[in-house]
Amino acid sequence: MNGRTLALLAIAALCVVAGGAYVAVATLNAGDTTTDARPRVVVDDRGAAAVGPGSELLVRAVDPDHPRLNGRAYRTEIAPGATPAAAGGLACERVYASGAGGGLCLAVKRNGFSYEGLIFDRDFRRRARFPVPGVPDRARVSADGRYGAFTTFLSGHTYSAGVRQFSTHTAIVDMRGGEYLLRLDELDVERDGEPFEHADANFWGVTFAGGDRFYATLGTGGEHYLLEGRIGTRRARIVRDHVECPSLSPDGRRIAYKRRIGNQDRWRLHVLDLRSGRDVALAERRSIDDQPEWLDDDHVVYSDDRSVFAVPADGGGRPQRLIARASSPVSLGPG
Amino acid sequence: MYQAESSGTLLRERRSRPAGAGRRGARVSRNVVVLGAVSMLTDVSSEMVSAILPIYLVLELGASPLQVGVVDGIYQGATALVRLAGGFVADRWRRYKEVATLGYGLSAACKGALVAIGGTVSAVTAIVLVDRAGKGIRTAPRDALIALSSTPAALATAFGVHRAMDTAGALLGPLVAFGLLLLAPARFDAVFVVSTCFAVLGVAVLVLLADGRPRTRSESLGLGTDPVAPDSPPTSAAGEAPERVQPTLREAIALLREPRFRALVGAAALLAIATISDGLLYLGLQRRLDLPVTAFPLLFVGSALVFMALAIPAGRLADRIGRRRVFLGGHLLLLPAYAMLLVPSGGMGLVAVALCGLGAYYAATDGVLQAIASALLPDRLRASGLALLVTATSLAKLVSSVAFGLAWTLGGLELAATTFAAALALALAGAAWALRRSPEAIA
Repeated sequence: MNGRTLALLAIAALCVVAGGAYVAVATLNAGDTTTDARPRVVVDDRGAAAVGPGSELLVRAVDPDHPRLNGRAYRTEIAPGATPAAAGGLACERVYASGAGGGLCLAVKRNGFSYEGLIFDRDFRRRARFPVPGVPDRARVSADGRYGAFTTFLSGHTYSAGVRQFSTHTAIVDMRGGEYLLRLDELDVERDGEPFEHADANFWGVTFAGGDRFYATLGTGGEHYLLEGRIGTRRARIVRDHVECPSLSPDGRRIAYKRRIGNQDRWRLHVLDLRSGRDVALAERRSIDDQPEWLDDDHVVYSDDRSVFAVPADGGGRPQRLIARASSPVSLGPG
Repeated sequence: MYQAESSGTLLRERRSRPAGAGRRGARVSRNVVVLGAVSMLTDVSSEMVSAILPIYLVLELGASPLQVGVVDGIYQGATALVRLAGGFVADRWRRYKEVATLGYGLSAACKGALVAIGGTVSAVTAIVLVDRAGKGIRTAPRDALIALSSTPAALATAFGVHRAMDTAGALLGPLVAFGLLLLAPARFDAVFVVSTCFAVLGVAVLVLLADGRPRTRSESLGLGTDPVAPDSPPTSAAGEAPERVQPTLREAIALLREPRFRALVGAAALLAIATISDGLLYLGLQRRLDLPVTAFPLLFVGSALVFMALAIPAGRLADRIGRRRVFLGGHLLLLPAYAMLLVPSGGMGLVAVALCGLGAYYAATDGVLQAIASALLPDRLRASGLALLVTATSLAKLVSSVAFGLAWTLGGLELAATTFAAALALALAGAAWALRRSPEAIA
């Protein structure tokens, strides 16, 4: 065996050892998803005290430094000193649950690079799964727990103002087994009684009203309409414009939403009174790209992709941080 | 051991001699196998990355489709920029191994850079650019080394061996990458680390085991070590520097004026224009036969398996019955693949026909074309000439992709496939005419 062969063997051995060790460590860390690692999702005592204790939130952890903790679902009471607890073993890109119990988690598949929808029960146990194309962005479940809805990006990553910069897939599924009930681009849409052509449109951000009614956003050519539709009739009508990612209040009378500033990719949170048409900008002055959620009839919660905040729904007050290192807030009702 | 081996070679030589009339080479040299191993290791490394690059960009870095498109465009196109330079520099200083090492080394360093700083879209874009530059630099000197390490009679076999090993690496790469992601979901860093290991190993094999100054060709037969330009520089450069042997850039470009080489480049480019790109052919099959999208990678695997299995036999056949014949005949194998785009309905059997046709086409043309060119080109300008040839065919392939995409969009898949089948038949006739003068002894 000459020197060159020896050198090659040494390099090969080094490669095998170094690469093997790295993969081994990565594999072992991957197992961490099932262990209950220390939650870094922390309730902000001041914000919790200010908003008033008593409600309970489900959130997903935002922990980019710990990819194995990132996305894990936690539930916590909004009260000073409350400790978030892991909600089952769920890890979601977006999560939603209904007050009736059970919900929808858009999760990374085991292969690590594509996604699926997981339907979980009131104890956060997986009950069913269904295929989800693209990259998860929004999830919603009706109050009675019957319908689920989700939005994914098939291409693009943000709701860009530019035309054709992104395309979305939004569908409503049966929460019993995950069967597709309706893809929103199949809807017959009307505007002022006239059929509305929407071949180039994108749909996103479903929120459920009673029965099989829902609201959503229809975006086409730089316009963003609030859509009101029914699953049963597969029909919808355009209600209003400049409304994205609507969220219906518990009393069913108001819609919290994000309103685009000019033609930019910046948004301000607003609340619209459906009956009077009165529209107020909320006290959060930063641009927020989220589908807001109602904590109760008086507070809207949302995330800036790092923490969860609450702001009064009447346009007054100021934003309060409720939970650090969390996103996708879901109100589970009074705790 | 040594004796047994050499007597075995002698026996084989003796047996093949009457039939092959001395055209069949003995065995592929050790250097070709070493270069094949280098390519295999490097291909495992780079195909690992390219298989996961789009999902890494989108899922981990939040890239837009436009950004993914730009990275993909660089991936496809950046090689052309430096390929000619790599070929010429290698020729000028006769540093094939050194230039190839630079190319392989750059790509290996880029895999390491992905681990270290691959956290933003712009960094990944820059790294991919340098990585592809490395590929561009190394291809022509590497192929020139293969030619230098082979006897003229066994050129096509040598390229066949190299391409078979190369394709094996390309097949293994994605398997390794997705296997790692199954073990450690979403740990792209682990994929990059293992990819770096394979790349480093490839460079180590090249540096430590490859012979940079193989002598095989100088001992070769009277085929003319310089069939195109004898020892003196071509007339255009005559008188400038009669004593020097370093080729000039003008001489390299003047290669295109040499009738037989120009005919070869023209014929290869003509055929490439009439050839549907793999991606579009797979897409057409998928649409036609309504295959699930998840079957897409399997189409690639299927044709690559056929390519890998047939590369060596096709090379041997080319060395035996004539490289030009095998090269042109190989293109005929595309016609059944195109026909599968036209049949109204079909099952898996038709997919198999298409994939076998495509894989066999690659086996009969890819390495064989390099062998024809290597035999035709003078020693001193071989890498430059090979680089010119590959640049011409890849430009032609670009034109073909755009044209097929356009024809498909405007006139539908059947029309596009029919047009390309007819164009291929015409191109074959044209290529056969253009190559009529290249003697079978070379081609």
